[in-house]
Amino acid sequence: MLWQQLANGIAIGSVYALISLGLTMVYGILRILHVAHAGIYALGAYVGLFSFRLIGNFWLSLIVGMAGAAIAGYFVERLLYTPLLHLPRIAPLIVSIGLFTALEEAFRIVAGPHTLAYNARVGLGDLSIGSFHLTETQILILLVTLAILIFLWAFLTKTRTGLAMRACAQDPETTSSFGVNVSAIIAVNFLIGSAMAGAAGVLIGVYDNQVWPTMGSIPAYKALAIVVLGGLGNIPGTVLASIVVGLAETFFIGVLAIPFPRDAVAFVAMILVLMFKPYGLLGKA
Amino acid sequence: MPLLGITALSKEFGGLRALDRVSFTAEEGEILGIIGPNGAGKTTLFNLISGIYPPSGGEIIFQGKSILRLKPYQISHLGIGRTFQIVRPFQNLDVETNVLVAYGHRFYPSLWKSTGPFRQPGNLREVQTLIERTGLRSYAKHLAKNLPLGFKKRLEIARALALQPHLLLLDEPSAGLRFEESAQLMELIRQVCDQGIGVLLIEHNMHVVMDLCKRIVVLDHGSKIAEGSPEEIRSNSLVIQAYLGKEA
Amino acid sequence: MISGYLVTILITIVIYAMLAHSLNIITGHAGQISLGHAAFFGIGAYTSAMLYTEAGFPFWTSVPLAAVVAGIVGALLGVPCLRVRDDFLAITTMGINFVVEAIFLYIPFFGGAMGIGGINLPKWFGREMTKPEYFFLILVVFVFFLLLDRQLGRSWIGLAWASIREDEQAAGAMGVDVVRFKVLAFILGSAIAGLAGGFYAHFLTFIMPQNFGFGQSIVILSMVVFGGIGTRWGPIAGAIILGVLPEISRPIMEYRTLIYGVLLLGMMRFQPGGLLGPESILSKTFQRTIYRLVSPE
Ligand SMILES: Nc1ncnc2c1ncn2[C@@H]1O[C@H](COP(=O)(O)OP(=O)(O)OP(=O)(O)O)[C@@H](O)[C@H]1O
Ligand SMILES: [Mg+2]
Repeated sequence: MLWQQLANGIAIGSVYALISLGLTMVYGILRILHVAHAGIYALGAYVGLFSFRLIGNFWLSLIVGMAGAAIAGYFVERLLYTPLLHLPRIAPLIVSIGLFTALEEAFRIVAGPHTLAYNARVGLGDLSIGSFHLTETQILILLVTLAILIFLWAFLTKTRTGLAMRACAQDPETTSSFGVNVSAIIAVNFLIGSAMAGAAGVLIGVYDNQVWPTMGSIPAYKALAIVVLGGLGNIPGTVLASIVVGLAETFFIGVLAIPFPRDAVAFVAMILVLMFKPYGLLGKA
Repeated sequence: MPLLGITALSKEFGGLRALDRVSFTAEEGEILGIIGPNGAGKTTLFNLISGIYPPSGGEIIFQGKSILRLKPYQISHLGIGRTFQIVRPFQNLDVETNVLVAYGHRFYPSLWKSTGPFRQPGNLREVQTLIERTGLRSYAKHLAKNLPLGFKKRLEIARALALQPHLLLLDEPSAGLRFEESAQLMELIRQVCDQGIGVLLIEHNMHVVMDLCKRIVVLDHGSKIAEGSPEEIRSNSLVIQAYLGKEA
Repeated sequence: MISGYLVTILITIVIYAMLAHSLNIITGHAGQISLGHAAFFGIGAYTSAMLYTEAGFPFWTSVPLAAVVAGIVGALLGVPCLRVRDDFLAITTMGINFVVEAIFLYIPFFGGAMGIGGINLPKWFGREMTKPEYFFLILVVFVFFLLLDRQLGRSWIGLAWASIREDEQAAGAMGVDVVRFKVLAFILGSAIAGLAGGFYAHFLTFIMPQNFGFGQSIVILSMVVFGGIGTRWGPIAGAIILGVLPEISRPIMEYRTLIYGVLLLGMMRFQPGGLLGPESILSKTFQRTIYRLVSPE
């Protein structure tokens, strides 16, 4: 029972991590609260779903969904965010909210208001040990998240581009004075972050077996809470906060059966933590 | 009783000792020079005196009272005005309004007085006097963001003077200015000090410091390494080392 | 006489204008980003609804009390908001909105998803007010707030807010008690939003948690930003335009959210000061016209 809840919580937390990581990376480098990131997440799910219908192979559709999300993220950065960086912080935030609402409506108009099924066969099979049970999609989520996290870690610590990206997040001016092309680094940042969101969209689409226009609404704000909880721009903090929120939700609702809305848990946690640590769990001033 | 007494003042930023048990005093009507290589802790010293950060240790006595636990606005009400190394005027307000913000320090503590209009002839007259004294008259209605750097620096001084300070903290007022501009600014500082206001002056330009200050405190790596008259400082081997060591 | 439909729209617009105006105090004047303004709107609406239906208070006391309660909650929530800055503040206020909505939705005391019904228009002269009368009542109250806003803009309070908006740390060094003036902005903004909530509850006659969700906060913020954040007339212009637009044509109603989104996006991208902002095309044209009229040369 306990192990089961733990596994469920970690699976949910993993998806949160995939969404929130892109958000925290964008924040780290541009200091923008990228609300529309969840629109990219839903876009990834739609692109994945439609390509799955065309190709019929889940793994390929996952890749296509990630690519679609990455390209969309790139354009958002080039056309909307970068031109606004000189304005007060509220300007890009509002653009992001506007873009997100527009995206959700666009999904509804293009793909219809109904939920669409995404019943892809992944080919992994369920796992049962005694009363402990992991569904195929849970295993899928855990595996894909793990793979992406390892890739991200290797990228950030082992490659020159990754190092430059971390340096940029610390101090863009100094970094550019070392001859690093900051603009390219920002683009790479958006490509990777958005691809992760796209992956999360596809995974949730398969996990819930549905894709719908406003599927990004709750993740949009929950991911922001998680990112703040972890300390805006802090990558390990974000992973930690994602898992904490995933577990907290599962335990509150599943074990303690408290009649509290699942989606407000993240916010309550965030407000409580901010009272004591105004810069989040692992954040610094 | 000195105007300002600093004892064993320290500040750590996560393991880095930006200021290490620094002690000195400053008197009314005196320009005390604070010099030291980059990163010596000069700005940090100002941030501690003006209450922006709490110190890690030590004591700050102003006019006989500890100001250690006071908030920045309370410290400014006691009569400590400051400027910022990287200028920070209120960019989208005009010069006059910038100065008015500081002039309002006498109204803010009372909610009732705060509801009164600020553009009253009496207030404006005093503010205009300050604007004139700092040579900003022709810019009075300009937005701060449109001023040249030299005038932004003057504006910061005008704003600090509007607090009717007993002590003025000036962080590199002449940095980035042309020679004549800098000379005019120094003249202004001398006038301020002639009125009995104490001035702490952080300055990189040695000629300026040696010319203006009778006493100089030298910081290096957070510690005070010397204190004395310009002649003493010039011939102090520790100071020479601190500056040369940096270049070598 | 004014038709019933028109009056309904007019009342809605004044309530939105009041909300946009109150958010403008917090975000425009004092420079504190708030993404959760609908929470205070909701607190006001629920306070006055509960007082009216459960405790039997008349409209004339339940609505002012709504403002008081919203103001107090605004002060209490303003305190945690003071510990955080900029982006942390934006997300904290958003979180507060979600939590407040969840409380209305999940605590049976507040009527849950069904909301609260049976709230009526106020009585005067021994009869119920007509809708046009109600419209004039809230219009008068709103005009009072506009005059108050003008007074505040000229006062030391307004000046202190401007300095905080520009540079909080420098403001502190220049003698401004930043905490006090921020809390003042939160109290005032929240109280006016609470009052608007009271008016809204008595006009709609029943309220539901969904009326006060994050989406509503975004609508209010859109109006402020669209019209010109920090200006006196901008938020009102925003409330009128964005409030009327969906009513005048069905296709606009249909794609209202999309249009809101695109408007916001386009506005910020190309005219970040808003419609009536100091550097907007409209303001510049206006100034130029005035200039030409005044000096014909
Ligand atoms: N808020 C802060 N957080 C962390 N470290 C800081 C902070 N402020 C200053 N420091 C560090 O403290 C040291 C002293 O900095 P400070 O700005 O006081 O030097 P300074 O003498 O004014 O130098 P300069 O001549 O370049 O202005 C530096 O190493 C700086 O990096
Ligand atoms: Mg310095």
